[in-house]
Amino acid sequence: MNANSNLERQGKPALTKTEKRIALKKSIKKNKWIYLMILPGILYFFIYKYVPMFGLIISFQDYKPYEGIMGSEWVGLEHFKRLFSDPDFWMIFKNTLILFALQIIIFFPIPIILSLMLNEVRQMYFKRSVQTLIYIPHFMSWVIIVSISYVLLTMDNGIVNGTLEAMGKQEVNFLLNPDWFRPMYVLQVIWREAGWGTIIFLAAISAVDVQLYEAARMDGANRFRQMWHITLPAIKGVIIILLILKIGDVLELGFEHVYLLLNASNREVAEIFDTYVYTAGLKQGQFSYSTAVGFFKGLVGLVLVIGANWLAKKAGEEGVY
Amino acid sequence: MRWNQSYKVLIVFTVLIVLVACSNNKDESASNDEESGNQIEIMTRLHTPEVPEPNIEERIEEKTDVELDISWVPDNNYDDRLNTAFSTGTLPDVVYLGFNQFNQFKDAVRDDQFWEIGPYMDEYENLSKLKEDVLDNALVDGKLYSLYQGRPLSRQGLIYRKDWADNLGLDAPTTTDEFYEMAKAFTEEDPDGNGEDDTIGLTDRDDLIYGAFKTVSSWFGTPNYWGKQDGELLPEFMFPEYIETMDFFRDMHENGYINQDFPVTSKSDQQNMFKNGSAGLYVGSMGDVGSIYNDAKEINPDATYDVHNRVKGPNGEYGIWAIPGFGSLQLFPKSSVETEEELRKILEFFDKLMKPENANLLNWGVEGEHYTVEDDGAVPDENTQKFEREVKPYQSLPIGEPETNGRYEINDPYEPKRKSEELNKDNENFLITDPSITLESESAIEIGDRLQEGINDATYNYILGEIDKEEFEQAVETWRQNGGEDIIAEYNKSYENSKE
Amino acid sequence: MVEDKTLSSRLFNITNATLLIIVALLCVLPFLHVVAGSFTTSAELAEKKFVIFPTEWSLSAYKYVFSTDTIFRALLVSIFVTTGGTLWSMFLSTLTAYGLSRKDLVGRRIIMFFIVFTLLFNGGMIPTFLVVQQTGLLDSLLALIVPVSINAFNMIILKTFFQNLPPSLEESAKIDGCSDFGILFRIVIPCSMPAIATISLFYAVTYWNTYMHAILYLDDASKWPVQVLLRQIVVLASGMNYDGSVYTEVPPPEQSVKMAVIVVATIPVLLVYPFLQKHFTKGALLGSVKG
Repeated sequence: MNANSNLERQGKPALTKTEKRIALKKSIKKNKWIYLMILPGILYFFIYKYVPMFGLIISFQDYKPYEGIMGSEWVGLEHFKRLFSDPDFWMIFKNTLILFALQIIIFFPIPIILSLMLNEVRQMYFKRSVQTLIYIPHFMSWVIIVSISYVLLTMDNGIVNGTLEAMGKQEVNFLLNPDWFRPMYVLQVIWREAGWGTIIFLAAISAVDVQLYEAARMDGANRFRQMWHITLPAIKGVIIILLILKIGDVLELGFEHVYLLLNASNREVAEIFDTYVYTAGLKQGQFSYSTAVGFFKGLVGLVLVIGANWLAKKAGEEGVY
Repeated sequence: MRWNQSYKVLIVFTVLIVLVACSNNKDESASNDEESGNQIEIMTRLHTPEVPEPNIEERIEEKTDVELDISWVPDNNYDDRLNTAFSTGTLPDVVYLGFNQFNQFKDAVRDDQFWEIGPYMDEYENLSKLKEDVLDNALVDGKLYSLYQGRPLSRQGLIYRKDWADNLGLDAPTTTDEFYEMAKAFTEEDPDGNGEDDTIGLTDRDDLIYGAFKTVSSWFGTPNYWGKQDGELLPEFMFPEYIETMDFFRDMHENGYINQDFPVTSKSDQQNMFKNGSAGLYVGSMGDVGSIYNDAKEINPDATYDVHNRVKGPNGEYGIWAIPGFGSLQLFPKSSVETEEELRKILEFFDKLMKPENANLLNWGVEGEHYTVEDDGAVPDENTQKFEREVKPYQSLPIGEPETNGRYEINDPYEPKRKSEELNKDNENFLITDPSITLESESAIEIGDRLQEGINDATYNYILGEIDKEEFEQAVETWRQNGGEDIIAEYNKSYENSKE
Repeated sequence: MVEDKTLSSRLFNITNATLLIIVALLCVLPFLHVVAGSFTTSAELAEKKFVIFPTEWSLSAYKYVFSTDTIFRALLVSIFVTTGGTLWSMFLSTLTAYGLSRKDLVGRRIIMFFIVFTLLFNGGMIPTFLVVQQTGLLDSLLALIVPVSINAFNMIILKTFFQNLPPSLEESAKIDGCSDFGILFRIVIPCSMPAIATISLFYAVTYWNTYMHAILYLDDASKWPVQVLLRQIVVLASGMNYDGSVYTEVPPPEQSVKMAVIVVATIPVLLVYPFLQKHFTKGALLGSVKG
C-alpha cells in the first residue's frame, strides 16, 4: 500500500499512457470490491448532480421557460457582460469577499476553541449539558434570530439601548448604521453555528490516544501545552479539510440571513451576490441571468478550492482530492 | 455479527426503496390516464399555516359537479413553484397569478401558451358580469386571457388611538398638517396620561408601499407609480409631491414622531407598537384594525381605535392610490387544457363559482356553521380557529367581488372594522390610478426592480437624514442613466400606442 | 486517568467552566424566550417583546396546534424521512467514503475532484426538478431522500476520518483473510463511531430541516414534513414576507402559536444529540483495538 501511494505521488509524471492503463487494470482487479462499493455513490452524483448541470448552459442563452433549453436563443456571454458591467459589481464582489474573510478568520476558529475547552472538562454531565445547550441555536431559523436581534437592538425601546440609556450612555443605532452590519452578521453567525460546529471537532478529538496526555503530563506539560502539542496536531487533518471545504463554500454566505439584515442604510456593505441576484434576476424570473451569476460564483469558488488544496498539499497535508 | 445484521437491514431497506419507487411510478401513470373526466387541477397560494380541511371543497365539488384537485403552495414559495411547473410543463389546468407574476408571464401569453378567453365570456351568464374596467387592467395587447378575483381598489387609510385623541381633545386629522400635529401631540403630550414620555406618533415598517409612505404620498398628491407631467409619463419620484412627502417623513423622523428604526421594522413589530400603546397612529390597510384590536384589548381593555380616510394635502384635494382591482388572475395553460371543450368545462365551473351560494361558501363557509347573516352581511362565527382552518384558505379561490358574485360583505361585530369597509368604498371617490398597469416596457421587467431598489434606498436615506436633496436627485439621475431612460421611453411609446 | 491537582490546573478548570456556562446561557436564552412565548398569550408577547418568565400562563397555543391531526401527520412524515433518509445516506456515504479512503485506488483523485466539483456548481432548481421527475420520484416521499442521498461535504469528512485510522488496523485484518466489506464493517466502522455518529447527526438534521424540496416535489400537502408548516407559520407571523405578496388581508397567525410550532418542530431533533453523545467517547475503543 505504501509502495503504491509512493508510486502515485512521485512516479506519476513519468508514467506513460500504457503504464497508466496497466496500473488501472491492476487496481481494478485487485480492488474490484472497492470499486463496487463506490459505484452507487458515483451513480448518485452522476444522476442527481451532473445531469442537472446541463441546466448551466442557460447562462449562455436568453432562456424562455416555454421554449425550453433546446428552443431558447443563444446570447453568448451577454449575461456575464451584464454582470461585470453592473456599476455595483465591484462593491458586491468586495462585500462578498469581506464577509467570507470574516467567516474564515473570525468564525472558523471559534468552534475549534470551544471544542478544546469542552474537551478539558472532566465532569461528563457538565460537558454533555453544555454541548446540548450550545447546539440549540442551530435550529432557530434566521427569521427568528433576526427578529430577536431587532427586539434587543432597536432604538425604539430596545433592550440593549434601554440599558445603555439607563446607564447614561449614548444610544447606538445598531440596525441602521452600516458600521454595525459586519459585526452583527458575524456575531449572529457565531451565535447560531459555533456550538453546532464543535460537534465535528469533538468527534475528531475523541480519537486522540489518551496515553499521549499522560505521557505529556509526566513530562510536566501544562494544560495549554497539552492542547497545543497533542490535541491540535491530532485534529489538524480534519481542520484542514474543513477549511478547504469552507473556502469552496466561499460565496454561500446565507442568502436568507443577509437578506433579512439588508436595508437602505447598509446596502453598500451588505449587498452580496445572492441578494443581488435575487432582486436583479430571480424575482423577475430571469433564470438565465441568475444562473450566470451562480456560474460565476462557482468559478470563483473553484479557483479558491484548487488554490487551497494546492497549498495544503504543498504543506505536506492531505488535500480534499 | 452485529455488523452483519445491520448490513442486512440496510440491504432490505434499499430493496424496499427501489420497490416503493417503482410502484409509485405506476400510480402516477395510472392517474394520468384517467385525468379527463370532470377533474380540474388548480394551483393557488396558501395564506394560512395549514392546508384546509376538505369539507368546503367537497361541497363545492357537489354543487359544481367537478372533481377538484387543488395544489396549495405556501405563499412565500409560490414563485419558485410556479416557475418550476411552468418550465417543466407541469402546470395545472388553472393557474392563479398575482400582478407581478402576470407581468413576467406576458411574454408567454403572447407566445400563445394560454387560452384567450375573451370570445367566450358572453356565453356565460355570471362571467359576463365581471367588471369591464378591472378586466381591462388584465388585457394583453387588447386581448383577454384571464378571470380575476376582485379586491377593493383602495383599502389605504389611517387607524388611530381614539382614546388618546379624546384625551388630548383632537379630532381625526383632515389634512396632512393635522396629521402631523396629531403625531406630535401623541409623542409630546403624554396621550396615555401615565406621566411618562413613552409614546410616539406614527408606527411604520420596512415597506414603502404597504407601509405608511405611499399612502401619505398620495395625500400629498403624488402619482401612483407613474404620472403625467407636460404630456410625458414619468415615475412618481420625479414629482415634487414625492419630495414633499419625503420632507414630511424626514421631519417626523427627526423629531421622533415616528419609530426611529422604521426602515428595519417588520410588520409584526410595527403592529406590536400599536397594540401595546407605544404608538398611536398606523397608516396602511384600514381593515387591519380588527386583528390589532383583538390583541390590544387584552393588553389594555380601555384602548379604543378608529379608522379614517379623508386626508387633504397642501393642494387641498383628497387622493388615495389604487390597486388594479384584482388580487389574482386565473389563467388556463394550453399545455394542460388541451381542447376547447376542456376550456369550456373550466369556464363553466368558474361561472358556477360566481353564483352567490357558491361564492358565499368559499368566502364564509357554511351558513350556521361558520357564519350567520345579519343585516345582509356575514358575521363570522366566534370560533375563529375553526373558521381559519376550514374556510380561510379557500378565500383565495372565488372570482369576482360582492357586486358581481353576489356574496355577502362582512358584517363584523367590531364597529371600526365595519367602518373600514365603508371607507374602502368611500376611497373610490378620489382614487389615484396607476397609468402604467396596462403599458409595456421590456426594460422595466428586466431591470426595473433593481433600479427601483436604488430609489427606495435613497428615499429611506433621505428620510433618515443621511443624504440631502442634491444626493437624492443624483440617485434619480443614476436611475435614469442605468436604464430608467429606456423605461420612460418605452412606457411613453406604449402609452401613445394604446391611445390610437 | 490521573487527575492533576495543581493550583494552575484548578484555576484553569474554574475559568473554563465559567466561560462555558456563559456561552451555554447565551445560546439558550433566545430558545427559552421561544418556549416561554409558546406558554403565554399573544397579547403578552406584543406587550413585552422578550419574555423569559411569562406572567400569564396559557396552554391555548398548544391546544390550537394539537387540535387537528395536521401536526402529528407532519411530524410522522418528518420522522420517517429523517430515519429512512439518514440510514440510506449513511449506507451510501460510508461505502463511498471508505472506498475513496483507500489510497491504493487508482482514479481516486479524479473521482474526488469531480465530487468536490458538485459542491461548487449546481444546475439549479429547474433541471434538478426535471431529473427528479424523470426518475419517477414526484409526489413520493422518496423525492425528499433520493435526490440528496449523499452530501459531498459529509462524505468527504467521513473519508477523512477513515483515512486517519492507523493503517496497521486494516493490514492486520487483511492478513487474517478479511474481505474489503469485512474490513469496512468489522474494523473501520466500529473504530470510527464518533465520526459515524457525527455524520449521522448531520444527515438527520438536514433531513429534518428539508422543506423546499417538499414544496417543489410534493403536490399532496398531506405528505409535507413539519418544516413546511413551521416555515409557513414563521414567515406569516413575522410579516417578513419577502415576496411582498400582494394585497393579502389575512391577519397573521398568533405569535404564541408560532412559538408553539417552533417548539414542537424542534424538540424531536434536539433529542437526537443526547442519544448520540455516548458514541463520542467510544473513540477509546480505538486504543484497545490497537493495543
